[in-house]
Amino acid sequence: MRSSRTMTLPVTTSTSGGLPWRHILLAALGVLVVAFAFSANGYVVTVIGFAAIYALFCTGLNFFMGFTGQASFGQNAFAALGGYGSAILTADYGFEPAIALILTMAFSGVVALVVGYPTLRLRGHYLAMATFALGLITYEISINWTDVTQGYMGYSGIPPLGIGPYYADTPKQQLAVILILLALGVLAAAALKNSRFGRACRAIAGSELAAGALGIPVARYKLVSFVIAALYASAAGSLFAHFVGFISPEVFGTAMVVQSFTMLYLGGIGTIAGPLIGAVVVSLLPELMRGLKDYQTIGYLVILLGILIYAPKGVAGLLDRLLPKREG
Amino acid sequence: MIDVVQLAQNLINGVGLGLIYGLIGIGFCVIYNASGIVNFGQGVFVMLGGMICATFLAHAGLPIWLAALVTVPVVALIGVAMEVAIVRPMWKRGASIFAIILATLACQMLIEQVTLLGLGDQPRTFDSFTPGGPLMVGGVALPYQFFWVLGCGALMVAGLWAFFTRTRSGRALRACSQNAEAAALLGVPVRRMMMLSFALSAGLGAVAGILITPSQITAYNIGTPFGVNGFIAAIIGGFGSAAGAVTGGILLGVFQALAIALLGASFKNVAALSVLLVVLLVFPQGILAQIKTLRSSRR
Repeated sequence: MRSSRTMTLPVTTSTSGGLPWRHILLAALGVLVVAFAFSANGYVVTVIGFAAIYALFCTGLNFFMGFTGQASFGQNAFAALGGYGSAILTADYGFEPAIALILTMAFSGVVALVVGYPTLRLRGHYLAMATFALGLITYEISINWTDVTQGYMGYSGIPPLGIGPYYADTPKQQLAVILILLALGVLAAAALKNSRFGRACRAIAGSELAAGALGIPVARYKLVSFVIAALYASAAGSLFAHFVGFISPEVFGTAMVVQSFTMLYLGGIGTIAGPLIGAVVVSLLPELMRGLKDYQTIGYLVILLGILIYAPKGVAGLLDRLLPKREG
Repeated sequence: MIDVVQLAQNLINGVGLGLIYGLIGIGFCVIYNASGIVNFGQGVFVMLGGMICATFLAHAGLPIWLAALVTVPVVALIGVAMEVAIVRPMWKRGASIFAIILATLACQMLIEQVTLLGLGDQPRTFDSFTPGGPLMVGGVALPYQFFWVLGCGALMVAGLWAFFTRTRSGRALRACSQNAEAAALLGVPVRRMMMLSFALSAGLGAVAGILITPSQITAYNIGTPFGVNGFIAAIIGGFGSAAGAVTGGILLGVFQALAIALLGASFKNVAALSVLLVVLLVFPQGILAQIKTLRSSRR
């Protein structure tokens, strides 16, 4: 296929040497959101919980897309693996939720390795469509393999999160567990971003040829980055299953792809804070647009298109412009 | 044992559906060749063709030929609007291809939502273009609509061939696909060509939607499977000629029909998507192009 367009995504190449009050501002906002969630009623807890789960999902996707400069339109496949894996292991076989979470993550990682090995040789539109197909295949299977997934009916009776005798019974306890896991995930991503591996990934995003010439094993690093994204997606899927107690094929459909991309682009792709900002804003948007009723989804899509056209670097990009970093 | 008559019936259905995929596939190629963009929202034009035509038939009481004649330009205009409002501004700002792909996907969902609000979530259909039938040949039923699909499909391919080789606009479009910069230097209005390619592509999708609706149903959310299958058809054909896309579509339709016969209807999309992955991974140039290079290398 002819490739006249640039294949790389906008990547912020700066390391974390910014002004401290930038971080303080973001941290304060985060604390505010969390405090609000814990002081508010059950519904807000649910919304923030979803936002945190999506933030985890997007943090993984951001590693593959923002840092490594690839694209996966099928990460929902791994979220579905995580969700259904956890649901089946805990509800049918009585596994501990924590152990089921880790087992399904391992399984998703292996699947990502096997599937990614041939797929990641593709570039541009082919990569986009091949990964999109992965998501669609998983969706079709989750509908049609009714013996295992119960099809459209969905899977219910999934126990809440917990390990051993400790169970997160109330939504607020669940939210606390999710937030802790999210914090771990974000810290891991931040550490990876500036590690030798992370810097190599960003070099790949800049130019695969140049990265290869510098001795970076491009294919292997792309694959590892894909597996990392799949691990995050799988964990997010598992958490969703436990948080809601019910999953159905629609949960992990194409809408999930578009929603997570909206979060990434709105928050700012290629930054650590971007997925978090995006997940919170996009999760709260429908709540702010309740008055629009039927037009809610339309308003949401219009906002996405507006951002893609007019602010492709998202909120994090705007912050960069408003609060410029000190040079040197 | 698989019933031979049943198998033949499946194959006939597969050819008809495959031709539709081919028409959608041509739509992908036309836009891609003019702009280097793959429009992931291509399937929405198929949905619009069926839905708008059904609305004209049911509410305005138009005869089918008039409804179709009105529907196609309307959908083509929607395609132009998509190009002007979304693709062009992003193109001008040098957005990454993945962002443009996402935008076309979001645009599809937007149009689906608007259709859902405007026309409701009820599936629709309308009668075959000619009443009566089917024609029975040795136990295999050939619905009259099948001949309409064959005829219109052939007409479209022939018309496109004439357009691309005989008319100024068609040649200009081909020039853009070869080298947009050189074409611009030679005075080809590249931007207008991009608009034209979206109009043409949307119109093709609408024709496909109108042709297929009598034998299936249409609803606001049928776009994605048609779009993906059309893309697969284009991929098999190597993303080049109209004939390649149609051949790819028929191959895909037949394969899907066999998959239905062997695995049952519920896994036909999984089968088609697996074909996509295999073709992408094994023949990244498209099967037809691969065969051609093999032949020429043997000579």
